[in-house]
Amino acid sequence: MRGVVLVSGPPGCGKTSWILSRLQEHRGPRVYRRLEGVDPEGRPLALDGGLDQAFLHDQIPDLRELADGSQDPAPEAEGLLALIELPLFGPEIPETLALGLRPDRHLHFGRDSELPRQDTLVFGALDSWSLDLVTEVWDPASVNSFWFELVNGAYGDVYRAKALVNLPDGRGFLFNWMVSCSGTQFLPLRSVAPPHGRPMRLSRLVVQGKGLDTAGLQTTIADCLISDAVLELQQAPRRSQGEPLPATG
Amino acid sequence: MAHAVLSCLHANLAALEAVLDDIDRLGVDTITCLGDLVGYGPQPNEVVELVRSRGIPTCQGCWDEDIIEGLNACECSYPSQLAERRGQLAHHWTAAQLSPDNKDFLASLPLSLRRDGLVFVHGSPNSQHEYLLPDMEAFAALERVVSAGADMLFCGHTHRPYVREFREGSIELRLRRPDSGPGQESERRMDLPVRRIVNAGSVGEPRHGGTEATYVIHDGDRDTVEIRQVPYDVERTCRAILAAGLPPPFAWRLRHGFEYAERADDASHVCER
Amino acid sequence: MARWALLSGLGGDLDVYEAVLADLRRRRVDTLFLLGDLIGPERDCRPLLERLQHPRRGELRAHCIYGWWEEQLLAERGYRGERRAEALRRESGEDAVQALLRAVDPGLMDWLAALRFGFVELDCALLHGSSADVGDSLGSATDPLCLLDRLTRMDVNRLFTARSGEQFSVALCGGGITARVRDLEGERQLRQSVPSRQVIGVGRGLQYTLYDPGTDHLDFRTAPDPARVRRRGFA
Repeated sequence: MRGVVLVSGPPGCGKTSWILSRLQEHRGPRVYRRLEGVDPEGRPLALDGGLDQAFLHDQIPDLRELADGSQDPAPEAEGLLALIELPLFGPEIPETLALGLRPDRHLHFGRDSELPRQDTLVFGALDSWSLDLVTEVWDPASVNSFWFELVNGAYGDVYRAKALVNLPDGRGFLFNWMVSCSGTQFLPLRSVAPPHGRPMRLSRLVVQGKGLDTAGLQTTIADCLISDAVLELQQAPRRSQGEPLPATG
Repeated sequence: MAHAVLSCLHANLAALEAVLDDIDRLGVDTITCLGDLVGYGPQPNEVVELVRSRGIPTCQGCWDEDIIEGLNACECSYPSQLAERRGQLAHHWTAAQLSPDNKDFLASLPLSLRRDGLVFVHGSPNSQHEYLLPDMEAFAALERVVSAGADMLFCGHTHRPYVREFREGSIELRLRRPDSGPGQESERRMDLPVRRIVNAGSVGEPRHGGTEATYVIHDGDRDTVEIRQVPYDVERTCRAILAAGLPPPFAWRLRHGFEYAERADDASHVCER
Repeated sequence: MARWALLSGLGGDLDVYEAVLADLRRRRVDTLFLLGDLIGPERDCRPLLERLQHPRRGELRAHCIYGWWEEQLLAERGYRGERRAEALRRESGEDAVQALLRAVDPGLMDWLAALRFGFVELDCALLHGSSADVGDSLGSATDPLCLLDRLTRMDVNRLFTARSGEQFSVALCGGGITARVRDLEGERQLRQSVPSRQVIGVGRGLQYTLYDPGTDHLDFRTAPDPARVRRRGFA
């Protein structure tokens, strides 16, 4: 696969995982861009707050990105693969969505047979809630309990939950859960934060569902995040060891 | 004669009432309670008063101790920061609710009770905080029974009911001392006694995957132990949890048969304090 | 090859310590462990504690842990929260507590308070009593079930203990137990063998123990009594 390919599909259909494996296979320049999508009524879909983008950049360090408003990627690039991700329910691109680029191909989940078939949910009329967690670090045992409660309905009827989570040992994980799939994907980031204060990489939680108890979510999350003093206790031995931890979970 | 043993009531009045009804219906009139009358649940005074009014011999659980002594449970007994914060919140709420009279009652409870060859404790004979889980190393578990001088040891604290019997046990050993010359080590074999641990589960915070309250009935004459599961009005307790302002996940966990207090993973952990 | 010397119960007696050190010469010991009871109520402990902190040139530095006497002193001097030297008071009365306080200069407390409860080296735990209690007195007559429990608690194959003052080794070498569990999920049975493990009492004072962790070889030794040696020397 090469050229500029637009990949569309409903939220949760597996676009990002598919894009990641195509990009990882590709020998040559790689470009990625995520566009803001629309729901079946043409309303903008809730953004994931850059989670997918941050994760892909972690996995493929030399991945290039199209800056906002830029046109097609440099056409002169030999062997270039540019994948443009677009959250979209139907295969037709609404006219209201000014793409500002001309893809060589357009693949849509549910229509094109070369894409994996996966059941997806109807995400219309779901509440979406997101919490910025940059610089925050979770107590590992607490994030396990919290995630268990979250995806099992302790804070409302959750359909989808995604988070980039920082742990005290410097590791980061992408948590990815959908009601139609069994279990959560826990994907380790390649990059490990240094043991000097709070990590600066993107970190947030995005939840989609019905009747979300956002106050309850915030109370629990506050009880899961560790203080400066606790973080320092965990980081001090790592500083003396010097060696970074492997980014495996 | 049959007697009932219950544990870990955790201020859950609906569950306690249902269990006592079940015991009454079976015509069992000796009851022993293994502590943790309060903590996490919404009706600490009501539960303590019901136990007192029925005159149930009770030993002290870790929560009963903590409520009197101040927060004494070691941090390491909490499996996570989240569990610790919630535990502390439940502790402070309970301490504020309990009447002085009921606190005095909890303070007066003994650490263990003994009847013939039966010994009753909350966690283990060593500590109210020690968990005797069903898969604990068998020799170490048997040591708890033997060191307590018990034929049968009744405990709670794990919230999971079980009966564990140790038999056909022996230890062979070789003893050496400075005065034993080369090759003069003495050998010895010790046969271990047959003993049982009975865990009564939990009335107020079951942790067996279902929502039913659990307790046990031991019939000394027939030498049987029955693990009883009793359905109760879970929603009544959940409503009371929310009305009391306790963390809503407590109600959610109870309703789904997940424990609302998580347990430390290390079964043999004993608080050093 | 590594060789350890394990001693305990010096009771503040520098002469005894020097006698053991002298006995250790030519025994190729590379690590010296002092399993508690460095101090005692019978004499001024300062000379011994200073020597332990500042060994002479060419002398082994002892790796020390605290024992029952240190625990009593630390409690009485307020290093253990509300607790005081109740065990000592119960056993020997108020005079013994006062004697202990006199025997150890308060200036030495910080060093004592920094001592550890025990060491775990290779698959060996080195403790004064056991992890159940610093005063746990294990000996050759202790119930084997109790010894097995103390080994299990530390999850080690060798437990070196000193509280009883006895030199002994009990090797658990056979046997087993059947445990049958019934719960709400059903019934299951498991047969478990006695793990091959050992509890070693290192002795007290002049009686000490040599151990080669590589070969598992044990040697119970007694250093010559310094009082008798001296008498002979001046005779």
